[in-house]
Amino acid sequence: MTSPATTSPPSGRARLAPALLWAAGAALVAYAFVAGGYLVTVLGFAALYAIFVTGLNFFMGYTGQVSFGQNAFAAIGGYTSAVLTTAYNWPVFAAMPLGIGAAALLALAIGYPTLRLRGHYLAMATLALGMIVQEIAVQWDRVTMGYTGIAAIPPLGAFGRELPNERAQLAALLAALALAVWVASRLKHSRLGHALAAIAGSEDAARALGIDVARYKLIAFVVAAVYAAFAGSMFAHFVGFVSPEVFGLHMVVLGFTMLYVGGIGTVYGPLVGALIISLLPETFRGFKEFQDLAYGAALIVILIYAPKGLASLARLWTRRGAAPDAAAAATAGTSRGDAGAAR
Amino acid sequence: MSLLSIEGVTQRFGGLTAVDSVSCAIAPGTISAIIGPNGAGKTTLFNLISGFQKPVAGRIVFDGHDITGMAPHRIAARGLVRTFQLVQLFPDLTAAQNVEAGCHLRGSGGLWAALARTASARRELADAAATARELLAFVGLQARADLPATALTYGQQRLLEVARALAAAPRLLLLDEPAAGLNALETDHLARTLDAIVARGVTVLLIEHDMSLVMRVASRIVVLDFGRRIAEGTPEEVQRDPAVLEAYLGGVDLAAGGGSAHA
Amino acid sequence: MPETTFLIQTLVSGVGTGFIYGLIGIGFCVIYNASGIVNFAQGVFVMLGGMITHALLTRAGLPLPLAALVAVVAVALIGVVIERAVVRPLWRRNATMFVMILATLAAQIVIERLTLLAAGDQPKTLPGFSDAAPLRIGGIAIGVQLLWIAGVSLLLVGALALFFARTRTGRAMRACAINREAAALMGIPVARMLGFSFALSAGLGAVAGILITPTQYTAFNVGVPFAISGFIAAILGGFGSALGAFAGGIMLGVAQALAIVLFGAGFKNVAALSILLLFLLARPAGLFGKAH
Ligand SMILES: Nc1ncnc2c1ncn2[C@@H]1O[C@H](COP(=O)(O)OP(=O)(O)OP(=O)(O)O)[C@@H](O)[C@H]1O
Ligand SMILES: [Mg+2]
Repeated sequence: MTSPATTSPPSGRARLAPALLWAAGAALVAYAFVAGGYLVTVLGFAALYAIFVTGLNFFMGYTGQVSFGQNAFAAIGGYTSAVLTTAYNWPVFAAMPLGIGAAALLALAIGYPTLRLRGHYLAMATLALGMIVQEIAVQWDRVTMGYTGIAAIPPLGAFGRELPNERAQLAALLAALALAVWVASRLKHSRLGHALAAIAGSEDAARALGIDVARYKLIAFVVAAVYAAFAGSMFAHFVGFVSPEVFGLHMVVLGFTMLYVGGIGTVYGPLVGALIISLLPETFRGFKEFQDLAYGAALIVILIYAPKGLASLARLWTRRGAAPDAAAAATAGTSRGDAGAAR
Repeated sequence: MSLLSIEGVTQRFGGLTAVDSVSCAIAPGTISAIIGPNGAGKTTLFNLISGFQKPVAGRIVFDGHDITGMAPHRIAARGLVRTFQLVQLFPDLTAAQNVEAGCHLRGSGGLWAALARTASARRELADAAATARELLAFVGLQARADLPATALTYGQQRLLEVARALAAAPRLLLLDEPAAGLNALETDHLARTLDAIVARGVTVLLIEHDMSLVMRVASRIVVLDFGRRIAEGTPEEVQRDPAVLEAYLGGVDLAAGGGSAHA
Repeated sequence: MPETTFLIQTLVSGVGTGFIYGLIGIGFCVIYNASGIVNFAQGVFVMLGGMITHALLTRAGLPLPLAALVAVVAVALIGVVIERAVVRPLWRRNATMFVMILATLAAQIVIERLTLLAAGDQPKTLPGFSDAAPLRIGGIAIGVQLLWIAGVSLLLVGALALFFARTRTGRAMRACAINREAAALMGIPVARMLGFSFALSAGLGAVAGILITPTQYTAFNVGVPFAISGFIAAILGGFGSALGAFAGGIMLGVAQALAIVLFGAGFKNVAALSILLLFLLARPAGLFGKAH
């Protein structure tokens, strides 16, 4: 996990499951590119959410911290893109970095004092942050159009040319996702990533070993905000529409559901979770009300019956085939978010 | 010239004076011990030295620098590293990963180094992995390197915590009851490890209830009782000190090495 | 002096809203004391109180007092259902605080969406409890609903104080708050107290929701802002003290009213939330609480 040297080689069976998953995912994407249409939209959403959840995972899974306000940063990314490209005719690739930068600055400003809080207070403060930004999106209607939202946001493109169709957009989203996952993996397997894992394990021990806990928490918070803003901005351009509703609390709950389904603290968990949840056909489009209902209920059931995420159930299955040590290490790895986030 | 000097340090919790103007000095290259009955204020003194708590009065000087009230991670960066009375491992990491994470102070790379995976960042990672192997072997846990930390026995967990603390390249190592929960064999192993740690150039200050261990390894002993320093000296001096015998209330004969007064 | 009058008028209405926040804040404390849990689904009780009363009033044609009574009982039962279905399995397992928060937040979403399906997304309101003309003192008008809010809130707080001081159940709950393990050893059925605390807290929330709805409106999504305000009230009061939470609610209501005067009504939640953030940073243990 941390370095190749410390990981026992997985057995054939343990390697088979991820290989199958990858193959299925690749086949699905290939089919979407051939067939086009509805599936492209579904996969686009999955990619957007996978980026968002990767950020959530960074803060929660890797660092063991709690934030229920990541939708705030998604909203900032989304609205910055929407306002600048529609009202001021900015090009997409100028608006997007600005939105991300704004989210990062806000995360820095809010995180610096807030991350000192613990437990319920941090949870409520981050929840409040999400509410504040959403409320501002409603009230500052000269700029944000209030409840109505902003429509006709230009699609992704560069140098004055928009991507010609949904398939090209999907390709761009998948490239963005690949970048996001690559960055997360790099950060995880680094001195920084080790420090975050230490904080998730025991803040006191991390401190005693010379890790500047406040600083690293802040870094993780900002990184997660950057992910959220990136996803929010991509959302605005992919869907062409933003409104306060889009970035509501349900976005956070949905994100957590995906994280729990895919596996907390793993690099590819967010991908798997986002794909599975987006694919569950009846939970997509049409009945938006049923969708959130289903996610919420699913999350409760998972929390009660599979507290380490659905991935841990899969690992129970592979454990029989794997060397006991490797399997034990693998299951231990998933519990980090659960245990660490409690502090 | 002392490596650590504690000057009239006091800590209070409400009406309770947990540490009462305690002074002492630790010479480099030695093993010293703090002993005292339960609740004497030993752990609190460690908390004050390592920056986890601020004293209400007094001064702590480490290697010529006043570190009183400094943040724990800064104190650690100066080379003063502690362990905990209740083992504080990173439960979701393997033994090796625990020690690798402990190598933080040996490296310097931040966000950008991690992203760009610079040559020095790669070297740091490789060095951390190598250090982890070396330190696990040093404490005798090489065979457990890839087990989750929680899968180790209690004694092994204590040793792992020591190895992880060594990864932070300390000059002074504070160990809070390293032998608690260890069997006789493990304690013997710990004693030899402590000598080896000093041989690496690390000074050791430990809190311990196991008197036979203390008498065996420590060259100086500080005795606390109700927050006050009631005695200080060589093991022989301390054993003969009437105040110490009084504090231990005739319970055990220190010379006999009955370490179970507080079990 | 029209400005002074305006200010006092604002303060008076702020106190009114503050009573509501106080009741919700007490709801937080009741559950927290019994179990150490912060129920992030607290807002649904407030929302459901107003919504169910409205439905009984308009669809079933019940008179308002009866509709309100039935709604409070129904919401208390819903509180018990949440406790049984969501909280207790996690509590038994000693789930982490984070998991508990996430689960109650998910319950919040589920109930919100069910309400949306059942009642639609249109805001609804209730008639005032009595339609007498507002009381006038000097230039200040005090709406009758405000008097209702004040009267019922104070009555409830008094009743709660008696309940905790005099009744067996109330004392048992206080024992749980002081030390749950010891309470369990003394033979107090701690798990049953948890269920009871949810019922009580849900009932309080429902009353708050019913009282406030005639002065504003209710809809499927009003819960979370109310919950956050109630949480702030509880924090201001040092989290755990019911009277503290009530006082905290009044303070928050007044502060919010002043913020409305200064920045406009649209930003009242922003103001409340900013107060929360500022306050959390300055005094995490509450106005009246000691540092932990
Ligand atoms: N954070 C705290 N708040 C209040 N009282 C404390 C705190 N920490 C320690 N104490 C009290 O201070 C006294 C000294 O405690 P300390 O943990 O330093 O003792 P100790 O010598 O390490 O004991 P032991 O041998 O049992 O570990 C005890 O009475 C303890 O209850
Ligand atoms: Mg101690």
